[in-house]
Amino acid sequence: MLFSSKKPHYEHLRKKWTAKHRSLQEKFFDKHSDVGRQIALGSLGSLMLLTTPNATALPGHNLVADSGQITRVKDNNAVLAEDLKDKVPTDMRSLSITEEQDIGTILTESFGFNVSAELQGKRLNRSYGLIGGEQHLYRYPGDNLIKHADNASDWAMYGSSGIAPGLGAWGYFTSSEAQMTSKDIMREKYYIAVQTFLAPGFSERTAEYRDFFKYRKMLLINPKTGQAVVTDIADAGPSEFTGKHLGGSPEVMHAIGLAQGPRKGAVLYFFIDDPNDTIPLGPIKVPEREA
Amino acid sequence: MAFYTKYVVVESLVSELHEMDLSESERAHLSALIDSNLHHQIMDEILSSLSVDDKKLFIKLMEKDPESERLMEFLNGKVDNIEGRIQKVADELVSEMEKDVKEAKKIK
Repeated sequence: MLFSSKKPHYEHLRKKWTAKHRSLQEKFFDKHSDVGRQIALGSLGSLMLLTTPNATALPGHNLVADSGQITRVKDNNAVLAEDLKDKVPTDMRSLSITEEQDIGTILTESFGFNVSAELQGKRLNRSYGLIGGEQHLYRYPGDNLIKHADNASDWAMYGSSGIAPGLGAWGYFTSSEAQMTSKDIMREKYYIAVQTFLAPGFSERTAEYRDFFKYRKMLLINPKTGQAVVTDIADAGPSEFTGKHLGGSPEVMHAIGLAQGPRKGAVLYFFIDDPNDTIPLGPIKVPEREA
Repeated sequence: MAFYTKYVVVESLVSELHEMDLSESERAHLSALIDSNLHHQIMDEILSSLSVDDKKLFIKLMEKDPESERLMEFLNGKVDNIEGRIQKVADELVSEMEKDVKEAKKIK
């Protein structure tokens, strides 16, 4: 795809950095051809593709920018989507208890850990709803949008969502940048906002429910594609008048294939029973099933 | 996330780019170039510090899991101050690209 742009500042950088890239690549393959002899050059090239962040956007002669969208997963997650097809309603409505149990069973068997719409006697107002895109959240005092990016491509993909003016439901994730752990980073990266205030029993036992919901892990599934992500509850919302039932961080929306266009779609969201905190946050693939 | 990500600081460079008038695709394009250039520079620094046999072993480890922390453990066992060296080449390239951005901003 050929780019044309009327922005001289952009063209200047594109040409300069493309030339730099060509020169770095040539130097790399010249210097390390000894390894290239043992591993087919194609493999080494593939390795560079595999290990370059956002590999699909590896620059070539006519650079194609990464659209930032995770494409439909062509593996067991697609099989999951098929399994869910007859279980998930075609219209946007709450699931019945039977539907929740059937879907919970499918998800538990697919992923190998307990997944359910109700956990420890508590549930949300619904488990199937419309998700909308949320902004990043401040993780500590002095945090900013740029600091959320691990690399330049992160900024390009997720930076445009912006950062919420207020804090999440639980406040800052940590007290300072120095004390921020990888757990704090992942909690913000893969957070969802759910309507905690509409959960049955919430207003009667607010403190108890607050403790239950705080960073509670939930499995989020795009039933049309099977794309799945382990998320945590880090905010409350959206308001009922929006017509949406939950919100996802920019990374969550990307993981379930809803980061482009209207940034909205139907998702399943079920609790994960993970008392020992062993299930990592982030995109998750359905493992191979044992015969 | 690449195994060397924590040694690479692009904040100042991304801040400069953030102020530029760029479309989504232009932003993605330039970001891909930044990350790929850094990746090549860092990989060159790493492989240049290893013997041929260690290079092959390292590449095999990378093929298994390019994000594994074991990669840094392996390198720390083979190369003195590899973390500092990665940081140095990354910082130099980031500074270079930051200058390019400042130069580009002056173009009308």
